[in-house]
Amino acid sequence: MPDHRVGGGTESPPAAEFIDISKRFGRVVACDHVDLALHRGRIHGILGENGAGKSTLMKMLIGLILPDSGHIRLRGEEVKIVDPIEAARRGIAMVHQHFSLVEPLTVWENVALGDTGRLDPRQVRQRVGEISEQYGLEIDPDDRIADLTAGMRQRVEIIKCLRRDPEILVFDEPTSVLSPAESQFLFQALRRVVDEDRKAVALVSHKLAEVISASDEITIMRDGKVVDHRPTEGSDPATLARAMVGRDVVLRREHAAFGVLGESIRAPGTNRRADQHAVLRVMNASVHGRDGHVLLDRLHLEVYPGEIVGVAGVDGNGQRTLGDLLSSLCAVDGGYVEADGQIVTTGHAGAMARAGIAVIPEDRHDSGCVLDFSVAENLFIADPERVSRRGLMSRKQMHEQAAKLIEQFDIVCGGPRSPMWSLSGGNQQRVVLARELSHGPRVLVAAQPTRGLDVGAIEYMSSQLRAAADHGVGVLLISTELEEILDLADRIVVMSNGRIAGEMRRDAVDMAALGLMMSGANE
Amino acid sequence: MSDVGEHIVTGIDEDEVASAALQRSKFGITTEVIGLYVLCLFVALALAAICVAATGGSWTNVYTAILDGSIRKPGRWGLTLGISAPILLVALGTIVNGRAGLVNIGQESQLVIGSCFAAYVAVRLGGPGPFVLIIAMLCGVIGGALWAGIAGALRYYRNVPEVLSTLLLGTVAANLMGWGLRKPWLLLAPAAGRANRNQVSEPLAADTRIPRVTWFGNEFPISVLVALGLTLIVWVVLDRSVFGFRLRMLGRNPRTARRAGVAERRYGIGAMLASGGFAGLAGGAMLAGGDFGNYQLVANFGAGIGFAGLLAALVARQRVVILIFVAFLFGCMRTGSGFLRATGVSGRIADVVQGLLVLAMLLPPAILYVRERRRALSASSTRV
Amino acid sequence: MGNFFSALGDIASNESAYRNAIIAAVVLLFAASGELIAEKAGTINISLEAMLLAGAFAAAIGVDVTHSTWIGLLFAAIAGLLVAAIQANMSHRLPADQFVVGLVLNVLVLGLVGFLTSSINPKSSVVGRFEIPVLARIPLVGPALFDQPWVLYLVYPVLPLVWWLIYRTRWGLAVRAVGEDPNAADVSGLHVNKLRRQTIYLTGLLAGIGGGYFLFARSGRFEDSLIGGRGFIAIAAVIFGGWTLKGTVAGCVTFGLVGSFVLTIPSLGYQSIDSSFLAMAPNVVTVVAMAVFAKRVRQPGALARPFIRGLK
Repeated sequence: MPDHRVGGGTESPPAAEFIDISKRFGRVVACDHVDLALHRGRIHGILGENGAGKSTLMKMLIGLILPDSGHIRLRGEEVKIVDPIEAARRGIAMVHQHFSLVEPLTVWENVALGDTGRLDPRQVRQRVGEISEQYGLEIDPDDRIADLTAGMRQRVEIIKCLRRDPEILVFDEPTSVLSPAESQFLFQALRRVVDEDRKAVALVSHKLAEVISASDEITIMRDGKVVDHRPTEGSDPATLARAMVGRDVVLRREHAAFGVLGESIRAPGTNRRADQHAVLRVMNASVHGRDGHVLLDRLHLEVYPGEIVGVAGVDGNGQRTLGDLLSSLCAVDGGYVEADGQIVTTGHAGAMARAGIAVIPEDRHDSGCVLDFSVAENLFIADPERVSRRGLMSRKQMHEQAAKLIEQFDIVCGGPRSPMWSLSGGNQQRVVLARELSHGPRVLVAAQPTRGLDVGAIEYMSSQLRAAADHGVGVLLISTELEEILDLADRIVVMSNGRIAGEMRRDAVDMAALGLMMSGANE
Repeated sequence: MSDVGEHIVTGIDEDEVASAALQRSKFGITTEVIGLYVLCLFVALALAAICVAATGGSWTNVYTAILDGSIRKPGRWGLTLGISAPILLVALGTIVNGRAGLVNIGQESQLVIGSCFAAYVAVRLGGPGPFVLIIAMLCGVIGGALWAGIAGALRYYRNVPEVLSTLLLGTVAANLMGWGLRKPWLLLAPAAGRANRNQVSEPLAADTRIPRVTWFGNEFPISVLVALGLTLIVWVVLDRSVFGFRLRMLGRNPRTARRAGVAERRYGIGAMLASGGFAGLAGGAMLAGGDFGNYQLVANFGAGIGFAGLLAALVARQRVVILIFVAFLFGCMRTGSGFLRATGVSGRIADVVQGLLVLAMLLPPAILYVRERRRALSASSTRV
Repeated sequence: MGNFFSALGDIASNESAYRNAIIAAVVLLFAASGELIAEKAGTINISLEAMLLAGAFAAAIGVDVTHSTWIGLLFAAIAGLLVAAIQANMSHRLPADQFVVGLVLNVLVLGLVGFLTSSINPKSSVVGRFEIPVLARIPLVGPALFDQPWVLYLVYPVLPLVWWLIYRTRWGLAVRAVGEDPNAADVSGLHVNKLRRQTIYLTGLLAGIGGGYFLFARSGRFEDSLIGGRGFIAIAAVIFGGWTLKGTVAGCVTFGLVGSFVLTIPSLGYQSIDSSFLAMAPNVVTVVAMAVFAKRVRQPGALARPFIRGLK
């Protein structure tokens, strides 16, 4: 075991210490005798692939999960943290990636949530003002969360944590919703928090580059174990990447998965031929939300057969609506959508699917699959007629065909009958992919297709998207992970505020210009 | 899904874990489930017994009377079948809308409207008896379907929660019937036929009534057999057909369903129409079947059969086959309470027993669900 | 039709119609103000009807036994709480469906009360009027609001209290958060289901008292038809009011007025307006109002959605 106080030289006990922590979920070992220490005044980067056990570890610290064995010590004192309320009381706060702000409430109301004692709005507002000034996190306490951008919301999130003056701050994948500039800003603020107040910060991430740029020390986890621990200074990205995956990382898409990407080495897409017509055209599509605000603003987009078009952009700039539009989940208020030269009625149930537009949705649980259905049923939700006669479904036929698809797409499951919820995220995603591709689509829309998947699954998905393009399918890849787009796309368009802010070819990509477009600066 | 869940199933042998959790000692689970049900039912019956004893009645007499009145005494189970049939019909409809993820709690009113439609047509339409009967039943279906359709349309076109609209339309239907029963040009029987009674409709002519059969000394209308046949059809349609598949999809995940081509409005309103249609048919069958009064409408004709059917469907938790037994059990409660007068205990005790039984049957699945989730997450600190 | 309008005119100048309207509105207010909080937290309590009925019955028992209206009200509150306890724990501790539990409770309580009434038949009495000086002199509305059985006046402190609870306390903030986004509330350290249970208890308490009040103010004699669907109308009033306290009060008063017309019109000699139509009027009005407003009004984000951690 390496020394856990590398470069620390601190005499006082660590702010938090995990000693020999283990946690199993059924037969899966999430944490396997993990030791880890968080020190005041330091940012501790915790690196690992999805499923390496880093989130599980942090959830034990904030009381969402109890360890099976081992101890947690806070400032040398052994504690048992049974729920988030207890954790908050002990000075531990977590900045969540999702779900922790209540949208219809205002900033100050959200900041006050979960506190105790008498509610004093004036005092809360004042405190919000103080904190935002101190750390440069500008915000109006009376704004409603629903009106704020992702970056602003994260500021609220951080203020909410800091207001309780915690000793330990945990950030779980904080940059996934931020533009590059916002990420930079976040890490600057983080540095001030650490330097000025000597708080202990844990930065959980799967992006190597950002952990290297922001942390003081790094712990790398793999398969529930701590495999490396070292000071950030002088660390070599290649070594760290190897430690994360457990073997040499050679493929570019693996680099992409960790957010370290060198120079382009792939030749730009060669599948596209000039004489072909677009398989998908979104013509000046406008969509408005229920309260009237603009979700898509005269969006114009074309996809040709055999090419991969990457839609880059910061989360919350209309990507979700674009995905919904192409899934028949919403209708345009202006403009139209054309598939293979035919106009498709928008918002009409099943119309897009019938027009040959396959979709791997952003949230597969939301519109990609039915968790209570079996794998076989999920494979045939779009066209049960294929396994039916005279309106009656043949289970035998369905299960036989499903078994074939399961084999073809290498879906790990207990057979066609096993319920969808029992599958891992990666395998659920494969079921969706198998279904969408089995219809022989003309267009494949993949929205954040690798979010939350581990490296192996990411690699599989990438190769499938490429293979689809090679077979002449027009692929529209919507992703907030710029690296993924740089890795796969032939052509890159940037979405900002519901419209296309710019376009460039992959072989002529200008990172600075791209970053500028993503932040919506040139509007 | 939270990251915890994501994690559980991201490891190498994730699926073994899942299937292990599924197959975990089937025998143990079965005994546990049965034990839990028995315990809950016992507690419910004991509570009802305490109620009776506390008010000075004899609970053994009560339970004996209910048993005698429902099946033991000669001819009683035929009557129970006759009472159970409309309960079953209503419950079948409730399962249809449940599959689509809709909550219809206005079966009683849909039944009432259905019976009014049937009564109006059956009395006024001339022609051969069986023909009139079939048309009248169809009109019952249409009446119930229309009444439920209002709620369905409001749900899909105006965002009005169907729970509330079906609930509120309940009183409206009862009052509409009351009004109709005061108007001779609608439902009120001609003065000659109703002696000194108000608010009755003209009795159906003998040849437009549902034929009754006698098996082993028990007499019941053939609508019982029709209800059983419909049960089979509903089972096939919901569990085996493409339509049923799509309906279930809509109930489980409307957005996925929409993407896959299930038009929410068409299927959702269709499910409501079917649900109301079954309730309306139940109303028609009650009118023409003969176990509910003298083949004529009276005020308060619904007699809570709609509610009983709703509860039966809820207790059977969407499973068609179990439904038959639950409907029969509820029928027993009604016919059994008829024998209570002799014991000196108010017949209302049957409602109490039934309510407690339903509560008791809600508990085990809820408890098991919580346990199953705890096991699945195996995170001892997870509050549910 | 002209007949109808002249009837309206007669009622508008009829003091006892107003008085009856307020009596009917206040029972709705008791029930709806609690229900409003529960719905803000994300629960629709179909069992509101059962809570009112249990309250009325317990109040009758309490008065029969002790001859004290106060103790009758105490009994009523406890009975309401009991019903609430079943509803709360089955739907927000165990994951039974809230509508199913509510429906069963309605059936069960109605059966139980009917059964017990037939064997106990409690005696009780109407509470006399108590005139609040000065205020009661205001023409038309004065007597209706301030010359009533004293139990009615209990509702006056309840309304500002409910407003204060929802909009000015930390608990109210937590309740609103839980009803809008339980997942966010959960990670912020709030006990989602505990808060929801608390709102149901509060609903039970208020509705129980409301039931007791109605017994004393209205009939004085308990019958199992006393409540007759008023719980459902109270739920309708909350929705009619767009989940605001102001709107809920307006809904309750409107429905109270309609309910009072039903009783008054025949007594004024307008037989031609069928009582059936009057009896169904509140429900029809509510359904129409929902149809008109439901799209425009934003309901609590997680209304009627159960919260189980880890499930979306």
